[in-house]
Amino acid sequence: MKRGIGVAVCVWGLLISGAGFSEEAFPQRIVSLSPVVTEELFLLDRGDFLVGRTRFCTKPPEALKKEEVGNILEVSVEKIVALRPDLVLAGSMTDPKAKAKLQQLGVRVEVFPAADDFNGVCESFLRLGRMVDREKEAEAMVTVARGKVEALRSRIPEGKRPAVFLQVGVDPLVTMTGGSFFNDLIEFAGGVNVARDARSRIYSREKVIADDPDVIIVSGMGFVTGLENEKEKKVWQGYRDLKAAKNGTIYAVDSDLYCAPTPISFVNALQNMIRLLHPHDAH
Amino acid sequence: MTHIRAKQWLFWLWLLGALALLVATGALFIGPSGIPLGKIFQALWNRQGGIEQSIVWNIRLPRLLLGFAIGGALSLAGVILQGMFRNPLVEPYTLGISGGAAVGVSLSILLGLSRLSIFSLPLAGFLGACAMILLLYSLNAKKKVLSLQGLLLTGVMINFIASSLIMLFLALSRSEDLQGIIFWIMGSLDEPNGFLIQIALVASLIFLFITYFFHSDLNALALGEEEALHLGVSVERTKGLLFIITSLLIGVSVAVAGMIGFVGLVVPHFMRKIVGHDHRILLVASFLAGGIFLVFCDTIARTVIAPLELPVGVITGILGGSLFVWVLTRKGGGTV
Repeated sequence: MKRGIGVAVCVWGLLISGAGFSEEAFPQRIVSLSPVVTEELFLLDRGDFLVGRTRFCTKPPEALKKEEVGNILEVSVEKIVALRPDLVLAGSMTDPKAKAKLQQLGVRVEVFPAADDFNGVCESFLRLGRMVDREKEAEAMVTVARGKVEALRSRIPEGKRPAVFLQVGVDPLVTMTGGSFFNDLIEFAGGVNVARDARSRIYSREKVIADDPDVIIVSGMGFVTGLENEKEKKVWQGYRDLKAAKNGTIYAVDSDLYCAPTPISFVNALQNMIRLLHPHDAH
Repeated sequence: MTHIRAKQWLFWLWLLGALALLVATGALFIGPSGIPLGKIFQALWNRQGGIEQSIVWNIRLPRLLLGFAIGGALSLAGVILQGMFRNPLVEPYTLGISGGAAVGVSLSILLGLSRLSIFSLPLAGFLGACAMILLLYSLNAKKKVLSLQGLLLTGVMINFIASSLIMLFLALSRSEDLQGIIFWIMGSLDEPNGFLIQIALVASLIFLFITYFFHSDLNALALGEEEALHLGVSVERTKGLLFIITSLLIGVSVAVAGMIGFVGLVVPHFMRKIVGHDHRILLVASFLAGGIFLVFCDTIARTVIAPLELPVGVITGILGGSLFVWVLTRKGGGTV
């Protein structure tokens, strides 16, 4: 009898300590204000813990079922608080005042700035994994992604590296300089980013024509639609003397593919980029 | 006659007070999270914690208070400036003071100063506004005479320069900083810092109190500077003081809430139509109506396409602008 009670107490103790552990240590109600982070949460199989998202968190489709708390720039603090989150994952575009207000109300806010390179993409994924108790899974996925990236890079043919101009914004003309994962994407694919050393991401059309890149890729970020990418492609084709226009190496790429990558979508983007830069070397 | 007028004024004050209460209640009870009314009553009366209480007391109430403070301050500044300049188009953002604040804020974001402290942004805005006040004053006060025409023209030009400078900063800045500057320019009542809200509230009330002493001077100035001089107003001293007071008022409100347009332009006109041109009632009525208008617009901005929040300037612009045009073009409403 006594032993029975002892065991029961032990089991009970274990149960509460276990329950207490999982509730306190790891967040169970997460609001994500960054589309990449939302996507990564689902990759880490933690989509169930997501209770709120932004209007632009549309990947994967399951995310659409979650409550909307705003778009990326404007979020409703009240709506977020009403969801009683124990963790808010903010992006670099989140309104600083909203972040401050949430913190002041005692909500834990973690900021996931946009990654500067592939390594940063992986690090931020690992950080998220640690935060939601999926560290091992995150590590495994990153290892796989890194392996794939290495394998893809090793198969790139030696020789001339094509000069690439990557356009992500139309008006003004915006490109991506060194210190961005776009730059990694181009270099890993065996290309050279013509804007790598430019000081500003706003570029001039005249400079592009002077650079005369081998390949021009248009992939508008954010609110740009595929139609606008095609339109912009036509504009570049109008400059008949450009090497890229002569060789037919001006491409419009679905913006979803390139922008805001997870370690896994980075691999897909890299495959796509390699196909564009080395069309004759079948992979 | 005076007796009847006093009665009328009292009636307007009562009405505005009632409207203020109505709008405040609306702002406390309506929001994107859709808390049922009963729970809000509970949260208001017995403060026993919980999400509803946090939303009502820590999110909606501070926003409501800031709305009254900023709306009141802006339309008070608008009334004084329009009266002083005898120009219906002058508003708080005409004189370049807001431009100065905006340049200060953009610079502090660009130089990374804004990360130092939660106060550095509003402080930079206020310092920018003060620098602009000094510049404007020194450019236009010659031989102890403050030229109002000059003030207006240089103010407008400086505003243009300031907005070009901000475009320049935007072009040079990194994308994260870009967000910060744009957020600030759009203006918002969602201020996390309680201390700043207190400053805005106290400052606007103090300035209302101070400017009330100038009501008869303002009435005289409305006749023209020379007439005011003949009526015994020390015109230069009054102009200088009023300019500095309104500038500080604008500086504080822009530093805390960013640029929220139309309140300072539309509300004074509206109030002049309703309560008349006498500054004895006009100052207080405009202050109250400005607060009511801004809180009302903010409630709409928070809820109309929830959970997205519109910048409150969108609503003040659309609502205020159309209201203004309607009032002006109504039969017999052509004069200002």
